[in-house]
Amino acid sequence: MRRWDSMEDFEAFLDGGGLVEPGDDMPDPYRQAVFRFIELHANSEYMGGLTERDWIAKAPGLTNKLTALAKTQDEVGHAHLLYMVAADMGVKTRDEMTADLLAGRTTFHNVFHYRAHSWGDQIAIAYLVDAAALASQQAVFKNCSYGPYKRILRRIIAEEGFHMRNGEELLLKMAKGTAQQHDMMQEGIDRWWWPSVQLFGPDTRPDDVLLRWHIKSERNEDLRDRFVQKMVPQLQAAGFTVPDPDLRQDPDTGRWVSGEIDWDALKAAIAGRGPDSERRLRDARNAWDGASWVREALDEAAAVPA
Amino acid sequence: MSRAVPAAVVAAVRRSVSQVCDPEYPEVTIAELGILERVSSTDGGSTVRIELVPTMLGCPALDVIARDATDAARAACAGADISIEVAFVDSPVWTPDRIAPSAVDFLAREYSVAVRRRSANASCPICGGTALEHRSDFGPTPCRSVEWCPQCRNPVEVVGRVEFPAATGAAQSSPAAMGAAQSSPVPA
Repeated sequence: MRRWDSMEDFEAFLDGGGLVEPGDDMPDPYRQAVFRFIELHANSEYMGGLTERDWIAKAPGLTNKLTALAKTQDEVGHAHLLYMVAADMGVKTRDEMTADLLAGRTTFHNVFHYRAHSWGDQIAIAYLVDAAALASQQAVFKNCSYGPYKRILRRIIAEEGFHMRNGEELLLKMAKGTAQQHDMMQEGIDRWWWPSVQLFGPDTRPDDVLLRWHIKSERNEDLRDRFVQKMVPQLQAAGFTVPDPDLRQDPDTGRWVSGEIDWDALKAAIAGRGPDSERRLRDARNAWDGASWVREALDEAAAVPA
Repeated sequence: MSRAVPAAVVAAVRRSVSQVCDPEYPEVTIAELGILERVSSTDGGSTVRIELVPTMLGCPALDVIARDATDAARAACAGADISIEVAFVDSPVWTPDRIAPSAVDFLAREYSVAVRRRSANASCPICGGTALEHRSDFGPTPCRSVEWCPQCRNPVEVVGRVEFPAATGAAQSSPAAMGAAQSSPVPA
């Protein structure tokens, strides 16, 4: 077990690229900040898995159903790994985290507070939301100071990259499809563009401890900007428009500049006042209660001597 | 008109397809994972046949792997009038023993993923601990289980056979039964 005499020593260790391990005597504010970050990530993976699950039956064709099934497994599996690491930090038990999530006492990402209306929405999520989430996770992984979290992120990033590739393929398929498919895809982009941009969060404050303690490695605004620079030309090349009337290209630099971002929408969604928050949480509670017999059966099976 | 594909073309396709990477682990090739079984010229035709062994029948990456293999094969015989056939075969059955030692080391080092071979129990890829505690038969993918290493306190994902109750133990010694066990999560 490693100890640090002062916060200055600890921060110097982090600045030197040191990895904190579970047995280390880490400063409590660091433990709390890392825990909250992982809990938010775990909650979001779990809620994302439930969203994906809704599309197993509805996705058109067997291949898309298999993909939805695999993505559901991915997201729930990621949540499982993240909750294991979070629970080990000794701040809350796994049961407490579950209870807090289902009661709406803890948060999950804004994008899971909206409803996916159509298959076009679902592709827009795979294309935009997965890309935004992947960019954020890559930025955390790059410089992440908590060993167990960094190791899980390595695998999550590999798997989310596969999701994003799937989203790109589906988007291009819709782009080359019938006028109806094209319109459905455009409606999906119109609904999911802003939540995806907002997912990165408002500009990072200079005193953000997540940056100082190497949990994040980049400012929100830099990640958001890179997302816009990448996505706008891709969407336009595929024949779609970006639903931002004030979007413009800087004539000197060639860079895309977004219009005003509605941060109140982000705050409302995260606070559980998003357009679909109530139904999402109700679905999550139903899923949890509906699976209670599985947990009981597993507990009973584990109690039987082999 | 029938003719055999020249051996040099078959060899070129084999080399090219060997370099195809796994969709989730872009640094590991399908040859190292034991997914690439055979590349051959089909009898008398102008076709190169690529036989792949799926890690699991329900693996969602199969389509992508097949497409990448087809693209790699086409690139290797560009210009020649040769058809490419990619087939997933059901024999032999894939087992973790087919993963090359170099890939086992790489997965452990880079991804903290352990491989459970038939001959030995998995150990923690992070600290080498051997007392892994089983937490879940399936992780983010159905081909990996989730364990907990109490020594370094990390979750560990293990590629390989899920340990089923003793009732199915007798059938587990045959590789075919192991494959069947992997594609069906409910023990008989």
